[in-house]
Amino acid sequence: MYDLLIIGGGPGGVAAGIYAARKKIKAVLVTDTFGGQSLVSTDVQNWVGTKSVSGFDLGKMLEEHLRAQEDIEIVDSDVVVSVKDEAPPSRDASAGEGKFIVTTKNGKMLESKYLLIASGSRRRKLGVTGEHELDGKGVAYCSTCDAPLFKGKTVAVVGGGNSGLEAVGDLLPYAAKIYLLERGERPKGDPVTLERIQKSEKFSLLTNMQVREIFGDAFVKGLKYADTKSGEMKELAVEGVFVEIGAVPNSEFVKNLVALNKFGEIVVDHKTQRTSHPRIWAVGDVSDVRYKQNNISAGDAVKGILNIYEEIQK
Amino acid sequence: MSNIIIYSTPSCIYCKMAKEFFAKNNIAYKEFNVAEDEKAREEMVSKSHQLGVPVIDVDGEIFVGFDRAGLAKALKITS
Repeated sequence: MYDLLIIGGGPGGVAAGIYAARKKIKAVLVTDTFGGQSLVSTDVQNWVGTKSVSGFDLGKMLEEHLRAQEDIEIVDSDVVVSVKDEAPPSRDASAGEGKFIVTTKNGKMLESKYLLIASGSRRRKLGVTGEHELDGKGVAYCSTCDAPLFKGKTVAVVGGGNSGLEAVGDLLPYAAKIYLLERGERPKGDPVTLERIQKSEKFSLLTNMQVREIFGDAFVKGLKYADTKSGEMKELAVEGVFVEIGAVPNSEFVKNLVALNKFGEIVVDHKTQRTSHPRIWAVGDVSDVRYKQNNISAGDAVKGILNIYEEIQK
Repeated sequence: MSNIIIYSTPSCIYCKMAKEFFAKNNIAYKEFNVAEDEKAREEMVSKSHQLGVPVIDVDGEIFVGFDRAGLAKALKITS
């Protein structure tokens, strides 16, 4: 039985682990990998105290810092699949009695009094016909990984946020032609990045476009989209579709225990990171924090741990 | 000993993770950079019927992505 179980190995989870260890809280941290969503970033330039670091090395730095702590148990290469609350039935929930039974993918059962959730978010999918069937067969979600495989091909990037613009940047050295499909009037990503990619003749921006279907046989052959202004359906012949349309919080495994907002984010008290459940805290991208940033996740995790520590001291 | 091939791109993090996993477990492997090597790229696509990296070939068994549990099983690595 632990006092605290931390879910996640991104900046939030790791910061929580370090602070928990330093407060001598009997804690365990469960994560698949270290580094969070920045893992696939080529270059992170805003991690405070570090001018430039790859996502891969940032993950390593986080892992090393956590493993340097004496008083923390780590369960890695594993994922939490379910959380069961065993609160004694006849008592006031706010009294903070009870424990959680946490089950992992590899079949571990862990018991803990408190929970800090830093499970982050994952890539949002389009949810259109053909996307799942052609995943990996032209439909791609990691431009830094897979861009070189589209050498000489015509591709579409869906989504005009920063990650969409960066995907175009990753594809420019390889692809023959890159369409950026944006739902709104203009891409929401940084103007600096947009200006840079617009200099390339390979690049075409299509706005007011909503993807409805991806088609192909063994590999992607094209996509169908609606022109949201005219309502007209059109086709675009492409061999690759890079989906960059934001993120979905990894909150499913606690959806019956804590209050979520309409986006599926865990609602927290932003002073303490406490959720609607008296023994659960949440930090970082899985929470309803306004800005999703590595530095913010780490800071919020520190707040959460200090509040949990106060709770334990009571 | 198993015959292992990894098809990778230089910027692919999951390829790096897979290679570190091999190194940690003292497993020798052959690597093809499919960003440069077109023949290897075709070979990868025909083996895996898809375009994502890494593709890992363990004695003919094909893994797409870094499937740590699957690789550990195929290579009989415990823990």
